[in-house]
Amino acid sequence: MGVPLTQMMTVSGHVLKQKLLRRKRYPLVLMLEVLFKCNLACAGCGKIQYPAQILKKRLTVEQCLGAVEECGAPIVSIPGGEPLLYPEIGELVEELVRRKKYVYLCTNAILLKKKLEEGLFTPSKYLTFSIHLDGMQADHDESVCQDGVYDRAVEAIRMALGLGFRVTTNTTLFDGAQPLRVRQFFDDMTELGVEGMMLSPGYSYSKAPDQEHFLRKQNTNLLFSEIFKEKKKAWRFNQSPLFLQFLMGKQDYECTPWGNPTFNVFGWQRPCYLLQEGYAHSFKELMEETRWAEYGKASGNPKCRDCMVHSGFEATAVDKTFTSWKGFKDTVAATISGKL
Amino acid sequence: MAEEKSLEGWAPTLDESLTIDEVIEMAFDYRGNTTIVKTDGSAVEGYIFNRAAEAREPFLEYFDKSGGGPFTLTYSQIANVEFSGKDAAAGKSWEAWQRRKAEAKAREVARSTGAGGENGC
Repeated sequence: MGVPLTQMMTVSGHVLKQKLLRRKRYPLVLMLEVLFKCNLACAGCGKIQYPAQILKKRLTVEQCLGAVEECGAPIVSIPGGEPLLYPEIGELVEELVRRKKYVYLCTNAILLKKKLEEGLFTPSKYLTFSIHLDGMQADHDESVCQDGVYDRAVEAIRMALGLGFRVTTNTTLFDGAQPLRVRQFFDDMTELGVEGMMLSPGYSYSKAPDQEHFLRKQNTNLLFSEIFKEKKKAWRFNQSPLFLQFLMGKQDYECTPWGNPTFNVFGWQRPCYLLQEGYAHSFKELMEETRWAEYGKASGNPKCRDCMVHSGFEATAVDKTFTSWKGFKDTVAATISGKL
Repeated sequence: MAEEKSLEGWAPTLDESLTIDEVIEMAFDYRGNTTIVKTDGSAVEGYIFNRAAEAREPFLEYFDKSGGGPFTLTYSQIANVEFSGKDAAAGKSWEAWQRRKAEAKAREVARSTGAGGENGC
């Protein structure tokens, strides 16, 4: 798989420590939304639909580091908005790397080439550029509602790889995705030389008006089964093979909404990265006072019924690897064989 | 295709069928600024980003129109909430974009066959 050994060891150590401490709920990835402002306006994206004064707000570096400390997750994902619009992004990344956090800087890459030319970042095993690409050129440009974005992203990926940075892709697949085109996209990214690819089916944000476009569970299983039929060994994914099997319908998991806690200018988001049901003033309050039983498939909550997204289920897949022999065996088998 | 409904411009009339708690809940879901009318007769404009309806003393939190805050108001201090600001989510769905794109394509076809039109996305 596409995750380096040192990162796997760090995550494994973190999970085992939580198990030894008998913690029922623990975070794996902190979603640090430094700002909501973006230089794209993708249809259906609920992250950018705010009034002007909110889009102008951003977290301070001190607030970010405080949240990282409070949370304690070994991985920090910086989504947005567009984090390269965050004026202190270089300083923030440097501080996180100094703290030995594995940073996934999630960007549409429109500004990446410029930032690399400016020397804003230094290659490190702790820093990965996670480039948002929802498929091949036409598919991606349609997804982000702007022509030319794919080409700019690919140019930036080439440059980042050439400079020795870790680069992955981050792909959300929506209703109507064509398996053959997705497979071709995997071939293209593999040829480009990215370290690994990340996938997730789309899901509507609760405040976004788009409730019909996103994938339903059965469709998701069918789509990913088609995509991974006779999976090529060369394709590398920067996520748990159990999560990919879950997308195919080969594993049945419950959501782990506390696995990827989200911090932004409003505070600690309840209950997860996707739903915005309120905000806690501290990580402790989020973990201890959120009514977790009201979320996930078993709860019967209609908002959770069809959700299969990465931020809710990757943590489940990782946990299963360490809490069940079947999970461990399936992970090892998929990792060694390259098959799902 | 269903029309996207927005609460933009709505000034609720509170009565037995619509309580201030319900209006605050709608305002929390609203992606635009609101005008919070206080029980003392004053009003403040801002974006409501949080509420705790089940707290011992229910409260909401907001940033004002200039970005100041966060500020807190208890439900008991609030007489009404008006949906006065532009709804940032209105018309931004995937379907709306697809519809606009299809319309633009139709206009392009019409133009190539001799009729007039304009671009849109």
